[in-house]
Amino acid sequence: MSLLTGMNPVFEPVLAELTERHRDEVLAAFAAVEHSPEPVPEVELLALRDVTLRRSLDELLHRVGRTLVPVGGGWTSGYTDEIAAELTGAGWYSLPMTDRAVLVLVLIHSVAVPRSRGTAEGDAWTSGQPTMASELFAASRVRPSDVKAALARLRAAGLVQQAQQRAGAGQSAAYLPGPQLHRLTSAARRRLQEELILAAAPSSPLAAAIRARRSHPRGEG
Amino acid sequence: MNQQETALWWARVRADGPQRVEPGGPVPPGMLRLVEPDAAGVWLLPALPDSAGPAVLDELGLQGHVLEHPNDTARVLAACLRCCWTEPTGPLWPGAVAGWAQVASVFTAITSRDEVVSHRALLAAVRRLDRSGWLLWDEGTRTIRLGPRAAAWNPAQVSALRELWRSMPAPDLSAAQIPEDLSQ
Repeated sequence: MSLLTGMNPVFEPVLAELTERHRDEVLAAFAAVEHSPEPVPEVELLALRDVTLRRSLDELLHRVGRTLVPVGGGWTSGYTDEIAAELTGAGWYSLPMTDRAVLVLVLIHSVAVPRSRGTAEGDAWTSGQPTMASELFAASRVRPSDVKAALARLRAAGLVQQAQQRAGAGQSAAYLPGPQLHRLTSAARRRLQEELILAAAPSSPLAAAIRARRSHPRGEG
Repeated sequence: MNQQETALWWARVRADGPQRVEPGGPVPPGMLRLVEPDAAGVWLLPALPDSAGPAVLDELGLQGHVLEHPNDTARVLAACLRCCWTEPTGPLWPGAVAGWAQVASVFTAITSRDEVVSHRALLAAVRRLDRSGWLLWDEGTRTIRLGPRAAAWNPAQVSALRELWRSMPAPDLSAAQIPEDLSQ
């Protein structure tokens, strides 16, 4: 049971270089970014404020396939791009097909469409524009009962969240992308945007440019 | 196992919960290895130091994950614990197989609800707990076991759970209909 009381062969090489107080700070920050559903404000934890400790925290995360992701004035954690590529390359998807389809619909309605209209700025996949449940039922070929079950699972996973609605906004529930979308690294956010363009407008000049860049990955970073 | 392979295993468990693998394979550093009672499989789950676990969120004043139906989910886990942990002076894992009726009898006794409502809540919570690795639910045989995550409770938590176990009503054993090959 020594593993559960602090000595962990994965973390130890990084922690061994720190003072006892700094070890505690780095582990607390690890717990915060890994387990908190929302990004953690930088001011709240020493290991997020202090650049040297933050580097140790990032090293710790890398040892378990994760990395720090900056979000506004705070931090969260996500899979490193290499690990994400290996997991998906090996067909390792933890969500069933239906759930992925419903999640993509929410992302299209809440982020991709407002972004293409110029009403959403930045590259974040979290947004304030709700997707109405009726849009999800109308836009998909998935059975409404399956959409509902998928929404429940996606909500439990923090991938979608229910939107607060104005009075009189109608009977239909509304959904937003969930806080887990904050965990996407900047490369992952860009890849998601590109995949949607390739799927939605494969013959567009933008899609051609994406394909061209992917076949010549020079400068990709 | 090199650093990259270790990171990949940790990421798989992060993405998909505890992993059941063939016995005899390598154990990624920092993970617990739990052998199934029939030795046909091994569960791998990360052994985070307590000071890096989800409980730290409370100490930091940060909000944790919002569970769906947290009260019923906790009650169902408690009912399963009461049925599957047959010898509370011993370890939790792997515990025994409990029949649906047995777990339902404990859950009904602690919730005092209408049977139909109670069973619906029980089934929903069992499925949630099965998806997250806290229980192993075999829908075909309608039997429940503790999931691999239960093996990662630390000694202080296990001792608190032992007290809870003692305060709970015993399962109605006459309701238990477990096929013989699963009951060992």
